Amino acid sequence: MLRVLGKLLLIGFACLIIAPLLIVVFTVFKSNAEFYSNPISIPVQFTLDNLKSLFSKQTMLLYFWNSAVVTLVTVALELLLASSIAYAIMRYGKSKIGGIIFALFAVGLMIPSQVNMIPIYALLSDLSLTNSHLGLILVTLTILLPLSVFMLTGFVKTLPKEIIEAGEIDGASEYRLFAQIVVPLTAPYLATTAAFLFVIVWNDLLFPMLLLVEKSKLTLPLALIQFKGEYITNYPLLMSGVIVTALPMILMFVFLQRYFIAGALAGSLKG
Amino acid sequence: MKKHLRLLPFILPGLVLYMVLFMYPTISALYYSFTNWDGLSPSYQYVGWQNYEKVSQDIIFRKSLGNNVKFMFMVVIVQTVVSLLLALQIYKKSKINVMLRALYFMPTILSSVSVGFIWTFIYDSNLGALNKFLQMIGLESLAQNWLGNPAIAIFSIAAVQAWAHIGQMAVLFIAGLQSIPPELNEAAKLDGASKLGLFFRITWPLLAPAAAIVVSYTTIQSFKAFDLVFTMTGGGPNYSTEILSTYIYSSAFLNYAFGKAATASVYFLLLIAIITFLQFKLLRTDRVSY
Amino acid sequence: MRKLSWLTLLLSIVLLVSACGNNNNSNSNNGSSGSNSGNSTNVSSNAGDKDKKDDVKLSFIHWRGEDVETLDSIINAFQEEYPYIKVETQVFPSDQYQSTAQAKIADGSVGDVFTVFPGAQFEAIANAGLMADLSSEGFVSNFESNLIAAGQKDGQQLALPYQLVYNIPVYNVALFEKYGVEVPKDWDSLLAALEVFKQAGITPIAFPGADIGPGQLMNSMVMNNAPDEDIFVKLEAGEAKLTDEWWVKTLAQFKELNDKGYFQKDAVGAKQDSSIALFVSEQAAILGTGSFHLASNKASNPNLQQGLLAPITVPADQAVFEGIHTTTFMLAVNSKSKHQEEAKLFIEFLSRSDIAGQYANGTGQNVTVKGVEYSSDELKIVSEWTSKHTRFQPRFTIKNGEVQKAVTNSIQAVLSGVSAEQAAAEAQAIVEQQIAN
Repeated sequence: MLRVLGKLLLIGFACLIIAPLLIVVFTVFKSNAEFYSNPISIPVQFTLDNLKSLFSKQTMLLYFWNSAVVTLVTVALELLLASSIAYAIMRYGKSKIGGIIFALFAVGLMIPSQVNMIPIYALLSDLSLTNSHLGLILVTLTILLPLSVFMLTGFVKTLPKEIIEAGEIDGASEYRLFAQIVVPLTAPYLATTAAFLFVIVWNDLLFPMLLLVEKSKLTLPLALIQFKGEYITNYPLLMSGVIVTALPMILMFVFLQRYFIAGALAGSLKG
Repeated sequence: MKKHLRLLPFILPGLVLYMVLFMYPTISALYYSFTNWDGLSPSYQYVGWQNYEKVSQDIIFRKSLGNNVKFMFMVVIVQTVVSLLLALQIYKKSKINVMLRALYFMPTILSSVSVGFIWTFIYDSNLGALNKFLQMIGLESLAQNWLGNPAIAIFSIAAVQAWAHIGQMAVLFIAGLQSIPPELNEAAKLDGASKLGLFFRITWPLLAPAAAIVVSYTTIQSFKAFDLVFTMTGGGPNYSTEILSTYIYSSAFLNYAFGKAATASVYFLLLIAIITFLQFKLLRTDRVSY
Repeated sequence: MRKLSWLTLLLSIVLLVSACGNNNNSNSNNGSSGSNSGNSTNVSSNAGDKDKKDDVKLSFIHWRGEDVETLDSIINAFQEEYPYIKVETQVFPSDQYQSTAQAKIADGSVGDVFTVFPGAQFEAIANAGLMADLSSEGFVSNFESNLIAAGQKDGQQLALPYQLVYNIPVYNVALFEKYGVEVPKDWDSLLAALEVFKQAGITPIAFPGADIGPGQLMNSMVMNNAPDEDIFVKLEAGEAKLTDEWWVKTLAQFKELNDKGYFQKDAVGAKQDSSIALFVSEQAAILGTGSFHLASNKASNPNLQQGLLAPITVPADQAVFEGIHTTTFMLAVNSKSKHQEEAKLFIEFLSRSDIAGQYANGTGQNVTVKGVEYSSDELKIVSEWTSKHTRFQPRFTIKNGEVQKAVTNSIQAVLSGVSAEQAAAEAQAIVEQQIAN
């Protein structure tokens, strides 16, 4: 009985996911006029105009490149920074300082972006870092620190102390402990965190919108909102942009999935 | 002392960045809660605790607080329970499970704005897929004005928030489930444990750290769910979907009352801190070790 | 070990790429002359000498994504006339425009020319002193003088409205003719007309109650119930209340339309897209929005014949106003801009009647500039209304954003079943809290 229910749940939820996504895909191939008369079903007049328009008029490839660069750099640096901090917190062990540092970063999670948006912009403006990818990366790195530190600290704490202690006894420096023991062991967690971060940075609208001005620097989400008008929105075009934007991440997740959910911890537990 | 010096290089870069680009702006933003700055002009006046009083009595602030709590409860409960149930089904290694994990994770990859649009469309009373579907299977009486009925609008949006993140939370639970040594389960089965007993005595306690992360992250996420509400209803109809983050946004950018927005943020912070603290106590995550 | 080398590989690729990225950034950040991007330098400006100047880059920000193509061709023409000026446009959808414009224009680096909504946004930006005074500029006289009041404050012309819009419902001329319905001149004949459509199985009014509907239709519904053009100013001064007869009656009339089934089902949850869809597919006789939809409706259904119809909520002999107009998309020069002269040249260019005509005919929106020739039927329909007695959109006379929201939300309340008196009382409570500040 439980089994049947379980399977039903899986199928039910799968349908719940596929149906809306199918509608999006259908919309991509409809003209704006058809969209209004036939919003949900399979396109009667299949058209590739939206996709063509996207790549010819709209310099999508440039935005793609910008998004890719900004996202990859941000995620990589974020992993480096946050894992270092998580490592240090773990090494502080029972000492209060570890808790203080953790709390300091965790507090950041509760602060809504609407609040520090204007002061952050003003600060960057003073530092002449607006309208640059560097400024955007620095800001994104910073506001993601609370989340990254929070997640990685939780993961790092699950590492068995014996291995670390063994390394200490062998006389390893902090750097070696970090790079050669902790990082490999937490690799799947790093990958999971990387996945979360990648999605957040790739889809980030707020700070790119605030900071980037020149067309040549825009990221994909910014390009998308250009399709939304004051009174009318070209939904097929918008949805085409949505799909194109989501594609890299879907592919990435499908192919690299095993890195994300591999239970590598199993190996180190026996000790 | 040596320990501090050794660990300093690990902490310093992130800390400096954080202090300069996050803490400092946030504190200066909070400082504005004691002023009547409008977010634009170069000058403003110090008003002491006035904003705190006004905001706490503000009819709309109170409504947004109430809405946010409703929203949070529904999201946390639905999201945690469903993602756990799904994770339990698909954490073992198999091709189908791997495929299902990817499928369930899909909505997380879409930006909240995209999700908002898609579901606004589905929820549409006249043209939307949901009511049309109910009509098709003969359950027309269940068709609602999903986003236009002030009584249920907030819950409709909560359902979408859960939909978008269940896959994400399932991944966390799966990681947790996979780290439970199978020997424990085998030993318990040999002792004659039932499926439910297995779950409550072994699985759940060991999942506590993952559950704690899921619940607290979901809670905070649900308080910050700005994009979704903004895209789907903008806080309406008639303030029924106004939550704290949209209230802060309106105060700052539509009403040019940045001081009040900052004050609301302070309340926001306090609220989340209290809730998170309570959650950790409830889940008692420090209890388990093996 | 395998995993470590994978990580190292990834990191090194990433660092390499970021090095390239940072190089590009430092080049453009230096802002030195002769950089490879070519046009990022700025220099003090003297009006007059068009050719021998150092390049100037103007930043233009607005919210109308649908105008981008037309504006791009106008900008190209502008850049041909002034080769040393390059205009860089950035568009934010109107919801985001509110928040991001504020931060960007405050330091003058972005938005040398920017657009402003009349009412609350205009007031706030004017109070912050961010708009340059254009009163003495010659091009002001290119605009119809009775249409630029929304951009004036304390005797200064701070912004110039570019678009002229009539916030009156759009009706399907062919459907009216088919069912023998004439344009009603008072409330009772309006109800009778709507009943005809309802009986025929056609949605009388497609009303987007979830987004723009209340804010648009409230204007024509209240214009004759409260003929005092300053009624909302009085509301914000505490001299008038929403619980007074003029607003309670308006709410009751909204409720009447909804209760009698003259709006589509669940109108309070309907967004503009579904309402538009109903209208262009000719399943609805009236669209409860405004003239700004005329062009796009026609594009979706070229067979549509449209006109504007204002509901008259009082007996015909008591009606003072025939309709509602708004002048919006107001052009302003950032007072902190380093290129104010060039910014003014751009506005001057836009205010020429041929250019404004190009804009109007390209976007389907009427403009406030004198002497413009409209080529489409839709634009001509609207220009016929300029001779009628219309009132400036009452909603935009509300200066406080929360008050405006409370007013429109009270309409949503009655559409959800709340009584007119109660909805008015709840909204008044919010208004009183807001104006007590």
